[in-house]
Amino acid sequence: MDYVAPTTLEEAYRALEAEDARCLAGGQSLVAMMNLGLASPARLVGLRRIEPLRGVARRPDGGLRIGAMTTHAELAALEAGAAGPALLAQAARVVAYPAVRAWGTIGGSIAHADPAADYPVALLAAGASIEIGSARGVRQLAARDFFRGFFETALAPGEIVTAVHVPPGPAGARAAYEKLSLVAGDFAIVSVAAIAGPAAQVAVGGCGPTPILSALADLGDDALLEAGRSIAAASDPPSDHRASAAYRRRVLPELLRRAVRGAHPRP
Amino acid sequence: MSGTTRAIGASTPRLDAADKATGRAEYADDVARPGMLYAAIHTSPHAHARIRGYRLEAARAIPGVKAIVTGADLAGPHCGGIIKDESMVARGKVRYVGEPVAAVAATDPETAGRAAAAIEVDYEPLEPVLSIDAALAPGAPLLHEDYPSYVKTVQGGGHGNVVFESTVEEGDVERGFAECDTIVEATWETQAQHHVYLETNGCVADVDASGRITLYATCQSVHHIQQRVAEELGEPMSRIRVRATRVGGGFGGKHASNIHSIAAWLARAARRPVKLVLSRMQDFEIQRSRHPARVWMRTGARRDGTILARDVRVTIDGGAYADESPPVLAFALLMSRGPYRIPNVRARGAAVYTNKLRAGSFRGFGNPQASFAGESQIDELARALGLDPVELRLKNAMRPGDTAFGGQQVPSCVLRECIERVRAAQRAAPPLAPRPGRRRGVGYAALSHISGLMGTAASVQLRTDGSIALATGCVDIGQGSDTVLVQICADALSVPIDRVSYAPQDSDSSPYNWKTAGSRSTYMTGRAVALATHELRAKMLAHAGDMMECAVEDLELRPGGLVGLKGLPKAVSFKEVALRSLFHSGGPIAATHGFVFDGPGFDPKRAAIHQLAFANLGVYTYGAHCVEVDVDEATGAVEVRRAWCAHDPGRAINPAACEGQIQGGFVQGIGYALTEAMHWNAEGWLTTTTLADYKVPGVLDCPVEILPILLEDPDPTHPVGAKGVGEISLVGAAPAIANAVADATGARVRRLPMFPERVLAAIDARA
Amino acid sequence: MNPKLHSVLTINGERRDVLAPASATLLDALRSVLGLTGTKRGCNHGVCGACTVLLDGKLARACLTLAADVGERAVVTIEGIGGNGGLSPVQRALVEHGAIQCGFCTPGVVIALSELFARDPRPDRGAIRGALSGNLCRCSGYAKIVEAAERLAGEAR
Repeated sequence: MDYVAPTTLEEAYRALEAEDARCLAGGQSLVAMMNLGLASPARLVGLRRIEPLRGVARRPDGGLRIGAMTTHAELAALEAGAAGPALLAQAARVVAYPAVRAWGTIGGSIAHADPAADYPVALLAAGASIEIGSARGVRQLAARDFFRGFFETALAPGEIVTAVHVPPGPAGARAAYEKLSLVAGDFAIVSVAAIAGPAAQVAVGGCGPTPILSALADLGDDALLEAGRSIAAASDPPSDHRASAAYRRRVLPELLRRAVRGAHPRP
Repeated sequence: MSGTTRAIGASTPRLDAADKATGRAEYADDVARPGMLYAAIHTSPHAHARIRGYRLEAARAIPGVKAIVTGADLAGPHCGGIIKDESMVARGKVRYVGEPVAAVAATDPETAGRAAAAIEVDYEPLEPVLSIDAALAPGAPLLHEDYPSYVKTVQGGGHGNVVFESTVEEGDVERGFAECDTIVEATWETQAQHHVYLETNGCVADVDASGRITLYATCQSVHHIQQRVAEELGEPMSRIRVRATRVGGGFGGKHASNIHSIAAWLARAARRPVKLVLSRMQDFEIQRSRHPARVWMRTGARRDGTILARDVRVTIDGGAYADESPPVLAFALLMSRGPYRIPNVRARGAAVYTNKLRAGSFRGFGNPQASFAGESQIDELARALGLDPVELRLKNAMRPGDTAFGGQQVPSCVLRECIERVRAAQRAAPPLAPRPGRRRGVGYAALSHISGLMGTAASVQLRTDGSIALATGCVDIGQGSDTVLVQICADALSVPIDRVSYAPQDSDSSPYNWKTAGSRSTYMTGRAVALATHELRAKMLAHAGDMMECAVEDLELRPGGLVGLKGLPKAVSFKEVALRSLFHSGGPIAATHGFVFDGPGFDPKRAAIHQLAFANLGVYTYGAHCVEVDVDEATGAVEVRRAWCAHDPGRAINPAACEGQIQGGFVQGIGYALTEAMHWNAEGWLTTTTLADYKVPGVLDCPVEILPILLEDPDPTHPVGAKGVGEISLVGAAPAIANAVADATGARVRRLPMFPERVLAAIDARA
Repeated sequence: MNPKLHSVLTINGERRDVLAPASATLLDALRSVLGLTGTKRGCNHGVCGACTVLLDGKLARACLTLAADVGERAVVTIEGIGGNGGLSPVQRALVEHGAIQCGFCTPGVVIALSELFARDPRPDRGAIRGALSGNLCRCSGYAKIVEAAERLAGEAR
């Protein structure tokens, strides 16, 4: 294996042309997989020195452009503002542990695309889009089109996640993130991200290979539980040693209700 | 003697704490020797298969490979603690996925790993046996066709896949039940828990020019490892030396040996030092677990709550090799009566072989499984009788002078006080605010355990300057025995603890000690230290009497290393005593005390005991736990909010160390109760081989308050009254939490761990 | 054999040469190349926290950090905590309060608490628990570790 640390995106794109090359962002998932023998790339392209991948820029509409190398800790520390960014910050606060949040990045996390991770749900609910760069140029993809399957994204060979664009969300809307896990800092059994104002946009994680996005108009408790039940009925959750598919379907409606209630206390 | 100088009863910082806080403490993986090779293990991909042959050419051809060992190289008999049914690498058959099949030593870890992967083994797969039911099914494939020919130190098994069977019976169970007004009956299931000591197993085997081997090992007994490696390598024990490194946690998981012989074999073959440190994944795959168990239990009482009868059947899943299954089963049976006066009890049990990781010794040793069932059933009985569960416990609790199950006399017993203290503490605590969507419950468990077992020894010497050299074979695995034993020694001589040195464990020089296990270090080795020190003191006083020309009875120890004449300022220092003995008369002053547990054993007139794997155990210790939990009724998630743990350490030599043991044991019990489970798939592959899959509680998963309560009731058989609290603290967590969940929701969970899904299923099943 | 890369790392204020394969982690480099064995390998997949070090003053898992990717970032290990062989206030608090048992998690705990106290000399119990949330301890039940940190915070008040 070799390691290169380009300082520009152009160099990075060239370095990625090598056989079996992979980007190294924060390394918090990739290096663990390498240590466990689950990944053995021939080349690592370190993204740490590429300035354009860093930093969070506030857009005039209250939304954010989040550089791909922004860490979970940086996102977690964002001042509460519009609902979209607030949702990302809430999700970032419950990713793993302090040391992982200090160096793990949003770009690395979403490119890894663990279906039980915290960002994918938050990004879908927030209506975020993913900015993807390559030698061919830059394209932007809605988060719901970016996550394709179990550890699978729309990234083509040679492409790098360069940024995440998070819209502010509807005026007056608020955000909440509900996560059920076996222990603190673990991946979710089921998670629900919600942005709710007069209506709600929710995304459910842990219940299939990619997050499930729904728009809800009726925010009464009964309607939310009913909506949760239909999402559950249509979902295809995994069964593993943490929980069965049936259990995930069973708890989804109440977690959905709590997430929306957390964002919007009065129906 | 001034009270302020007593070493006993002081929460002295541990002797090794500063080294550990600064990273200086040397653990097994920190050991390096010149020219050291690195070992890697080739493990079985099959749960059950016959080995037809090995192809080693590809591995041998890799540059840097210095030695390879397979089962074909082993000629001697099988090894093992109690039933000699295993070998350091598989021979003839593999019996679990991950079982060591071959091992390689090479110049660096990567080369060793590549070479291990290049070993080819020809297997004939056999049908795996993956559960208790599968093991006991008629016509089940046999794991150990050669069981009858194995060397055994206990008898009582061997038909089909049964490793061992045992029965303990007192009174007449059928007649007892006939007199009961209320009878409850249920079955409980518990899982395989892994020790997850933060330091994985490992060792370095060095070899001298004569071929004598020195092992540096993280372990719970240098003497045990020495014996096992000598047996496995066919060497006399004099040719094997074992030195303990600092130990990064044990909990029973480093109490027996299996990888040390591999390192020693490779070092002997390569004539170079070999390091073998397991990865976390391999440690999960090839070490040990707590026994999964199924406990059926039936208990009956009179309307007034007097418990008259209990019938118990315990089946434990021992995995592929017997290891500690016989004594774990026997101890589970002995603990299954609970700490209660029940006149008619029958406990029957079996341990079975399955094609999974061997189960072995783990903090609690069968008691957590038995007590989860027993203490849950006490609450169910109380509910059926319409009585308060705490009152039911108090009514039936053992008292001083009662007998334990099996007939052993118990002179001291503070069980009732423990129960009353945790109840009072919980009631006095300011109530926590209720939380929306969560139901609050309070649960209790009453506990007993033993402290003792087997043999140990200590030696003390007076040095030239009057300071003391203490040596025992007791390895401190984190519980603090180094400090506690030094405190006992220093206290007996009225010197500050820095005047006593404590020798690291080395099989060449340490007095014999069985193991750091059985909550025995403070009780057993502590007794030996106290009595050896008393003998040393007597010899010193005899010298001092000669020196001051007075009778020994007129002498007293004075703080700081002086022997004084009672009522007079006249004194001689320990140094003067030492110098006289070394250079004038008498010779060096030293003392050794060794013994084997000699307390009361079972009473054959009272109890019918068949196949019990030990003759007598130790002294009994008692405790009680109380927990408050919040249960999320929509998800089944359980959060332990506060806990009170009352225990009887006899006499707390180092109260902070006792409290640390209690809090740590309780949290390991929370993991057992709520989050930790080893999981095997249908092919027998362990799927929880990382800490991302096997969930150990972190600080945020633990209650903000775990309040230890020390109820000191000095044990009459110990010179300073102490006994162990290392294991009992784990035992109460699961039943207390299950009882609190039932109190909160009315739902009874009878399977561990109480994953949210299982709690929710129990809530659903309420109606 | 894997080709080796040469890196220059700044560890506890000293510049150290490391020659290791590109796949080597900072933990490999510390323990196997530089002989700094105070940083412990508990799981090697980022969960246990025994290998926690400071990277530019922030907590980092040495096992999840590639040695070659460290670059100019300053590394502080347990060997760099406390001066002149003495104990730092965090270390002293843990030692004196009985918060150390087997000790294998302790270097990581010391680093985690050192980072916390550098940010906030008077953390409350919630902040202390949060700072320790990535460090598994199998011996103590965390109670005495948290209490030791609370005592240290109390001294600063």
